[in-house]
Amino acid sequence: MNHLDGVALVIVVASFLIVTGIGFAAARWRPAEDPMHLNEWGLGGRGFGTFVSWFLLGGDIYTAYTFIAVPALVYAVGAAGFYALSYTIMVWPIVFVFAPRLWSVARARGYVSPGEFVRGRHGSQGLGLAVAATGILATMPYIALQLVGIESVLTVLGIGGNSSNIVVRDLPLILAFAVVSAYTYLAGLRAPALIAFVKDTLIYVTVIVAILYIPSRLGGWGHIFGVSAAHLSTVNPATGKPYGNLVVLPAGQWAYATLALGSALALFVYPHAATGVFAAKRRDVIRRNSAMLPAYTLVLGLIALFGYMARAVPAVNAGVKAGHGNAQLSVPLLFSTMFPSWFAGIADAAIIIGALVPAAVMSIAAANLFTRTIYKELFRPYASPAEETKVARLASLLMKVGALGFALELNKTFSINLQLLGGIWILQTFPSVVIGLYTRWFHRAALIFGWLAGMAYGTIEAYRTSGGGQAHFGASASVVFGHTTYIAITALVINLAVSAVLTVVFRWFGLQDGYDETRPADYVADPEPARAPSPARAPSPARAPSAAPAPSAAPAAAQPPWPAAPPPPAWKAEPAADGRASQVSADWWSLDQAMAEAPAAAPGPPAAVTEATAAAKDATIEFDIPDALAGRPQSRERLPRRK
Amino acid sequence: MVRHASPTKSPVIKAVVAFMLAVAILGALWVPIYAHVEPKLGAFPFFYWYQLILVPVTAILCWISYLLLRTRPARQHRRAPQPAARDREGVWR
Repeated sequence: MNHLDGVALVIVVASFLIVTGIGFAAARWRPAEDPMHLNEWGLGGRGFGTFVSWFLLGGDIYTAYTFIAVPALVYAVGAAGFYALSYTIMVWPIVFVFAPRLWSVARARGYVSPGEFVRGRHGSQGLGLAVAATGILATMPYIALQLVGIESVLTVLGIGGNSSNIVVRDLPLILAFAVVSAYTYLAGLRAPALIAFVKDTLIYVTVIVAILYIPSRLGGWGHIFGVSAAHLSTVNPATGKPYGNLVVLPAGQWAYATLALGSALALFVYPHAATGVFAAKRRDVIRRNSAMLPAYTLVLGLIALFGYMARAVPAVNAGVKAGHGNAQLSVPLLFSTMFPSWFAGIADAAIIIGALVPAAVMSIAAANLFTRTIYKELFRPYASPAEETKVARLASLLMKVGALGFALELNKTFSINLQLLGGIWILQTFPSVVIGLYTRWFHRAALIFGWLAGMAYGTIEAYRTSGGGQAHFGASASVVFGHTTYIAITALVINLAVSAVLTVVFRWFGLQDGYDETRPADYVADPEPARAPSPARAPSPARAPSAAPAPSAAPAAAQPPWPAAPPPPAWKAEPAADGRASQVSADWWSLDQAMAEAPAAAPGPPAAVTEATAAAKDATIEFDIPDALAGRPQSRERLPRRK
Repeated sequence: MVRHASPTKSPVIKAVVAFMLAVAILGALWVPIYAHVEPKLGAFPFFYWYQLILVPVTAILCWISYLLLRTRPARQHRRAPQPAARDREGVWR
């Protein structure tokens, strides 16, 4: 299987070069006035509409590793591998419910990562740090697994593989990753967003062709299911039990359901998924996408069936045996045996590019988390946007190097174990992030202890499970009260129980809770993307509040979410500054602030208004606290976060 | 120019949306209802074709929910494009 397939290789290399060109060109796509801002580099300017978001989220969530690992699981154990399908079915209704709230609050408060939201919502640096650290820890092995996906394709193509020299063996992988790192560094989230178009087109073409073409060559679906059923019912000599089943047996149903539910709940607290959500232009974009992204789920379901197809091809079974029983080779082998070289090349390119997109988004997401929640919070509270962007770029490089180290130096199973742990860990941030979107009933300290308890239980329990020839980290489910349950779900229940009990205890003792910097209206805010003011006029892009906005803004300006005194006449009389009325937005918060500041800010000539307000805003930044402070002690941890 | 996804949707609409989304989630979560071989669709055991059909069903339920909860009229999405319409500073920083 290690003969070099020239045609396929040429096609793979050519697509890689095309994608590289797109990646570098992405830096000029929808150019920003101020590229050195984290909103630009890290979130693509927060301007992606339904169409781009669909590609980006789809390209980001349905990773190459999924496309390799899910059919590999189906190939090995049958129906149990289909939990991935039921998980990606139920994830969209769940996302439909909470993701719009997360988007709104992030937009209203300028958050770029879930860690920041948690810090702001619960008024707790510690909790924000916990969420950020969990996110980074869970993301790193995930990136490494994308490399594992690429590696299995390269092995089948006949590159690398057998050489004992680590540099020769892994040179293609290192080269590919270096190139990806370079354009991610330059273009930020715009690069994976553009490349996702290529990736997804290739994936859809491959899957549609494969699903129509391969079964006819294998003698139809009846034969495919027949062969698989026969294999799954034979006894595995290692365990003394059958390999698996064509349908989940009653004993496995609880594990199947909890695995699906746990993965679905965890998906959108993963930083890379949150990044995809934050980059959307409007609130509606997310809901519409939760109705459109199931298209990828369908593709995933069809790809899972590749596992059965691979089982029905004797050459694939022989190839997998020759590769030390590595089931992850089954799909690339299926392509290379069933397709002519040129189409196998396209399919392999789909997998490789499919690994690059999520790897780039993940490294950006982790970099955003690091920059805002760790670097800025702990070391440089007054960091300028340009400095943030610089740090984030470097952090994304570091993440990639770290992941490469994981993939090359450490045993492959170690990455897979860590990925398994990552899923368990990331779900432990669910109470702080998702439940925090709805209620602040939980005490911030209780949430930290709950998180610790969940992390500890999950790690220990995962360590104790054996299976698949491993003494530890053998499986993701363990037996609880007679039911085999996904460890992450058990850990989440423990997490919630500890948080709830401690919340009651802490409240009883009157332990101080954090200060919530968000407002109820933030969670339903749907701001129109504001136009950037021209740099010549306004040194800082402050929004000058205007009581005479463009007609389209009038209804919103007239109805702030709570009753408020009418704006002072001075503002009302303000003529629209040389026709730029539509550029100044009357966001309710700035309107509100203008009211508070109006006595202080003497109305000047129109040209000076923007700057005057900006200055006044900066000088009196603490004024947004009082009305909401009623009855709530102010946290000592509240940092002056704005310059 | 802020708009709010109005929280004033009627409770009936909210209940309908909650019901539809619950159906979509439970349809996948409740494994015993679909862990069977029969009835087959072609060569496909029920377990497989049920889940594959549930995917578009979920998508349609989400789309109806989106239409029910939508707050701004559809044509507003097709206003003149705003190439520079991006938020440089986050909002309120």
